Amino acid sequence: MSFGVVLAKECIDNLRDRRTLFASFSLAVLGPVLFVGIMVLVLERALGESDEATRFAVAGAEYAPQLMQFLQREHTEITLVESAGEPKDLVRSGTHDLLLVINPNYAERYAKGNRNTLLIIHDSSKLSATRKHITQLRGLIGRYASTIGVLRLQLRGLDPALTQPITTQQVDVASPAARALTILASLPYFLVLVVFMGGFYLAIDTTAGEREHGSLEPLLTQPISRTQLVLGKLGATSVFGAASVLVFLISLYLSIPFVPFERIGMSLEVGVSQLAQIFVVCVPLILFAAALLTVVASFAKSYKEAQTYLTIVILIPTAPIIIAQFLNIESSLQVMLVPSLSQATIMTELIKNEPVELSHALVSMGTTGVYAACMAWIAITLYNRERILG
Amino acid sequence: MIVAQQLNKRFKQIQAVKDVSFTAPDGRITALLGPNGAGKSTTLRMLASVVTPDGGSAQVDGQDVVQARMAVRRSIGVLPHNSGLYGRLTGIENIRYFGRLQGMSAAALESRIEALIQQLDMADFAHRRTAGFSQGQKVKVAVARALVHNPQNIMLDEPTNGLDVMATRALRDIIRNLQQAGKCVVFSSHIMQEVDALCDSVVVIGQGEVRFDGSIEQMRQHAGTQDLEEAFIRMAGIQTDAAGDSK
Repeated sequence: MSFGVVLAKECIDNLRDRRTLFASFSLAVLGPVLFVGIMVLVLERALGESDEATRFAVAGAEYAPQLMQFLQREHTEITLVESAGEPKDLVRSGTHDLLLVINPNYAERYAKGNRNTLLIIHDSSKLSATRKHITQLRGLIGRYASTIGVLRLQLRGLDPALTQPITTQQVDVASPAARALTILASLPYFLVLVVFMGGFYLAIDTTAGEREHGSLEPLLTQPISRTQLVLGKLGATSVFGAASVLVFLISLYLSIPFVPFERIGMSLEVGVSQLAQIFVVCVPLILFAAALLTVVASFAKSYKEAQTYLTIVILIPTAPIIIAQFLNIESSLQVMLVPSLSQATIMTELIKNEPVELSHALVSMGTTGVYAACMAWIAITLYNRERILG
Repeated sequence: MIVAQQLNKRFKQIQAVKDVSFTAPDGRITALLGPNGAGKSTTLRMLASVVTPDGGSAQVDGQDVVQARMAVRRSIGVLPHNSGLYGRLTGIENIRYFGRLQGMSAAALESRIEALIQQLDMADFAHRRTAGFSQGQKVKVAVARALVHNPQNIMLDEPTNGLDVMATRALRDIIRNLQQAGKCVVFSSHIMQEVDALCDSVVVIGQGEVRFDGSIEQMRQHAGTQDLEEAFIRMAGIQTDAAGDSK
């Protein structure tokens, strides 16, 4: 078959172009590595937060020894400051990030049963972990204050519940695992980009590039039908798209074990069978991408122009994924009609080890396959026109 | 043998080729002579079945260029006006690609490539990638590629463009050899001296029309001058003041 001759030639030709080859596959190789890096960083941070001590400085600690005792018993890291001088300056100058000031008349007012006001000094214009420490410190002091309050009421023979007709309790379910899942959702986005990047340069080289180098005209004088010719070119572009996806999946397979999922009580094992399924689901998208890139590149008058067009084109398939994430669209049959989104959705399900409905997978593959065939038909039509010679 | 009858081609507002008729017989070198933009390339493209004529017809070895495209493409070899090689493929790979597209068997193809390398004296460079080739080396590979399936009819579009003296001479020898082998050779040119040195018959094209069809000698008589360049300019209908932008 002549289309095989064209396919083989285009593949060899592109393989010899080391620089573009590197550019095509860089995202596929580095994407998962980058992804795992971010994941490890975020998880380490999330895990670190929970056992970090509340750090602050105290001025006038000597006036409230009981409060200090309480604070020291908690998970805190306290620096004591001499009460001489203006305490605000200590924070302004950056000597301390967070300063708790206890007034000299604290003990006196405490004994009388008056209210004591403690000053918490901080600088909100500085980006630091202080914000978290403030909340924790206020929580600690609040707890201490309410303990004393309760004791005082009980001493007077009153039910402490009197002062608290309503209480609230806060439960935050955003565990480190949930954060991990949010990042995980960006993985399909990478996948779609990788599908399109793999065939990016080949689509240009076989169309606008071929015309620019003047090799298209002699090629068209060969006894090969335009259909076979275009199918050969599309085939080569698809081969590189598929290779790019394979590289991406292998890179993912090798990097995922570096994420400390077990430490957040999550088990995410990306096995060979899941990756194989992801690949199979992606095949129609790879064909669609090859045809779409080829059609657009065929319109360009030069290599450079084609590059400009395609840079925009590869962003288009990521749009449905972003929109679906914003609108929180769940997996459904309708979703499966949208190329790129359907593959991304199925990939997410596969990675999370959720069951994928066979009907969904088939609809996704079927419809995207039809779009690919339509695109290929357009490409063939373009090559049957004389204007293809430029 | 190539026969063109009343070929017409229009691109939007421009009538690129108008009623062009000529016959290029086997064993002869026929030149399409004309200034830039006269319609030479378009005519060759129609004969090579790449562009469809709006009117008229053309046959290559009796096969119609529109009705029997594939048969025509098997019986022609085309040298485009720039060599149009793939820079990342070696000389041999470039030739082999077209041989395969012509449907040649592997054994026949390899022995044919070996013969062409000897014939065109390409042994020194045929194994290297063509990206670094000189113009002369590129043209040799392009010629070998056009001849790989041993076509009866050869079309060359301004083949000596950008070639130095030695390369031009080498190419002339190749073309003469083809003629002696009984092939039908058609080549386009805008250089009078080149046509004079090589051709049996001349078809002068100016503004898409055939202005003259005959031998070089007849052309001199027809124009009424011994100066070939002058004859060419008169024939092609080039106004001396507009010669630069006759496009």
